[in-house]
Amino acid sequence: MSRPRLAIAGLTACSGCQLSLLNCEAELPLLLERIEFQFFPLACSPVRIEGCYDAALVEGCCSTAHEAELLRELRDHSRLLIALGTCAAWGGVATLRNDTPRKELRRQVYGRHPLPDDDVPRPLSAIVKVDAVVTGCPPEKHELLALLGDLLRGNLPVRGTAPVCTDCRMRENLCLLQERGMLCLGPLTLGGCAARCPSLGVPCEGCRGPAPEANVAEALELYCQNGFDAMTVTGRLRRFCPEWNHDQRA
Amino acid sequence: MNTSVPLAARINAIRHLTEDTALFTLQLTERPRQHQPSPARFHPGQFLQLSVAGAGEAPISYCGFPSSDGSIELCVRKAGRVTAALHETALGGQVAVRGPFGHGFPLEHYAGQDVLMMAGGLGMAPLRSLMLALLHQRERYGQLTLLYGAKAPEALLFRHELGDLANRKDLLVRLAVDRAGECPPGIPSCRIALLPALLEGLCIAPDRTVVPLCGPPSAYRFLIPPLLERGIAAERIQLSLERRMQCGVGRCGHCAVGTLLCCVDGPVFAYSMLKDLEGAL
Amino acid sequence: MPLFILPQTALEPFMERLRTVGELHGPLRGSDDAVRFSFLQTGDQPDLTAVRSLLPPKKYLLAPDETILTYRPAAGYQTPAHETGPLILLGVHPCDLAAIAYLDRQFLADPPDPTYAARRKRLILIGNSCTPDNNCSCHQRPSALSTNCDLFLYQQDNGFLISVETPHGERLCQSLGDLLLPAEDQQLPPSSRSNFGLPLPAPSANELDAHLPDWQRLADHCLGCGACSVCCPTCSCFEILEFGGLDGCSAERLRRWDNCLFKSHSEVAGGHSFQKDRAQRFRYRYRHKYRGYGQLQGVPSCVGCGRCRAQCPTGLDLRPLAEYLEKERP
Repeated sequence: MSRPRLAIAGLTACSGCQLSLLNCEAELPLLLERIEFQFFPLACSPVRIEGCYDAALVEGCCSTAHEAELLRELRDHSRLLIALGTCAAWGGVATLRNDTPRKELRRQVYGRHPLPDDDVPRPLSAIVKVDAVVTGCPPEKHELLALLGDLLRGNLPVRGTAPVCTDCRMRENLCLLQERGMLCLGPLTLGGCAARCPSLGVPCEGCRGPAPEANVAEALELYCQNGFDAMTVTGRLRRFCPEWNHDQRA
Repeated sequence: MNTSVPLAARINAIRHLTEDTALFTLQLTERPRQHQPSPARFHPGQFLQLSVAGAGEAPISYCGFPSSDGSIELCVRKAGRVTAALHETALGGQVAVRGPFGHGFPLEHYAGQDVLMMAGGLGMAPLRSLMLALLHQRERYGQLTLLYGAKAPEALLFRHELGDLANRKDLLVRLAVDRAGECPPGIPSCRIALLPALLEGLCIAPDRTVVPLCGPPSAYRFLIPPLLERGIAAERIQLSLERRMQCGVGRCGHCAVGTLLCCVDGPVFAYSMLKDLEGAL
Repeated sequence: MPLFILPQTALEPFMERLRTVGELHGPLRGSDDAVRFSFLQTGDQPDLTAVRSLLPPKKYLLAPDETILTYRPAAGYQTPAHETGPLILLGVHPCDLAAIAYLDRQFLADPPDPTYAARRKRLILIGNSCTPDNNCSCHQRPSALSTNCDLFLYQQDNGFLISVETPHGERLCQSLGDLLLPAEDQQLPPSSRSNFGLPLPAPSANELDAHLPDWQRLADHCLGCGACSVCCPTCSCFEILEFGGLDGCSAERLRRWDNCLFKSHSEVAGGHSFQKDRAQRFRYRYRHKYRGYGQLQGVPSCVGCGRCRAQCPTGLDLRPLAEYLEKERP
């Protein structure tokens, strides 16, 4: 079996998704044996983007012209391009203030000092064609390994659709929204994390982005009935994904 | 009968039929275990579950003639994870199969009847299996007709066989394509029309004709009314439904058609069973 | 059917004795006040008066996530080894017992599901009477409740009246002999079970009306969270997934609980879904729960445990709809 050639890169993000991969310590020797990590600036000495990659795994959102250029280059050199993590998939925390004009944000943060141009941060799919998404902040280890297992065989990863609530109920947790009146985004957020946070009594923050079939309109009404004002709820929703369709009932 | 464990099979031949569809000939390389049926023994219209290790399992209709030598023909379009992986698997590669599942075409009721087969697109795959079985015992049946429609001439499946079939005296073949294209050599002429248009001018005796029908889910709505207009009774129209059969034995729940389960009650149903069933067509 | 009395004071030694037979599980109230079926260590006090556990006992038969096949190039696909040795489930309510009977019909019918069959085989069921609350509908809806168990405990003032339901239960009782008192003049209490097992009437014209507005109203309020199906003792739809190992050749096939209220439930390769609208899916769910499908067509699978009512974040409930439709029947 030929070893797939991978490029792994990060744009505007914390590198946590790439680190999650490096944290798969037990599996690393096998991964190195099976996969050629051709371009992986975080882990290997810098090399140029050249040749053809079987897949590029890209972390982070795209927020500068330079990043857009790097992203396009990776796209051109790769058979598959995979958005790795919530920032790459949805925009993530860097897009938290996308509702405020860029100019105004620059003024607030840097005053009158001139700064290199930056763009409104956007998910990868706003710039290039994305073949698959592995969401999460960071993605779960089992998802990363499943992705690599799939890439070894030339498959695209299977994407679940169930929300965090489903995972949470399967773990037989008491519902934080219903029983504790917490602002838990479980019903709206794509599952796959085994309800990590609610299992520890922490309400879901929505870090994995929207579940495709989320009934957003109904959830907003429910939060409102539970005494949360629209500002608080919208603020919480926007933390990891700037684009929610508040009318969606799916 | 235990149908839960897939049995190993080797890809013995691959014939590319169109850009995204190929005919795979598999040979079982593992003997059925205790109480396990052989996936190579089937009735036309039944389906099997095809596994490509690491990708998963997908329901595929049998496409060939039921043979006793353990070989299985499957016509597969690249549509999802498993079928894409199958297309990536090289000749001689290993896959696995379990089955057969469901009810096929009720051949026992076809004896002495005229059989009007209508296939749209990939629906040709299960109908080919039926047609081969009918031709094998040609003398048992009345008039045999195949009406087959595809998007374009280059999308017609089994082009290598259509010429010979069309030349047979004991089978009437009519082809239709949605749009013109270069007609590959050896193919009988095809009309630029929708499939139901091929019924025009066809001599049908409604009380001794059965209509096995197989096409994409959206096709049935416009295929069935013209048949009913011709006076063919609903129970004489048998159609094969596509659903998400995962377990194959009526448990996973994904292939429900109203109150029926496609994997155990179908996939071939008489139209009379489906016509009042919500969500069936 | 022999009857015995188990005094309250003998419950602890009774459980200790059961532990010598197999792994003992029962309803345990957690620090969050929720009740879950859990492993009962010595000293753990099962809550035998709790109305319902968060998850039904189906988790012992169909795990939320479980490996059903493993693949190795040399060996092909193989069924994984199953756990063996008895597992005793203490304190299962009649509704949950009925649910297990329903699952048995579905998973033990030919061809039996190997994973389910292996798990079911090791299960010893000890039923327990209960007092329904407002969410329960076992006493209103005819559902095929049975004492599908080995022993059944009827709660009494100072202990339990035990009825022996199977030869297995009888053997169990023999080994418990010294803890039990003969129930000489005792009778089985007039059973709440007498309501159950009525044949289901044919669906009314109303019920077959696909455009009944209630479906849309229900669907609009459904969050699509999946709670109702996860906590349902008879919901058993599962999704099958396969993951490839990092060695590039081995693989593992899993099944995971699925939910018919998800669009993906009926989606085929290429993305076409046969139940696109949530209202359609609601109607489908209702029909399945109250009317059954496939080989179990006509057999209702709602046992009235009330979990879906209790656990729905927006308070959705199929029951009033069912009652409304029943009432409207000519």
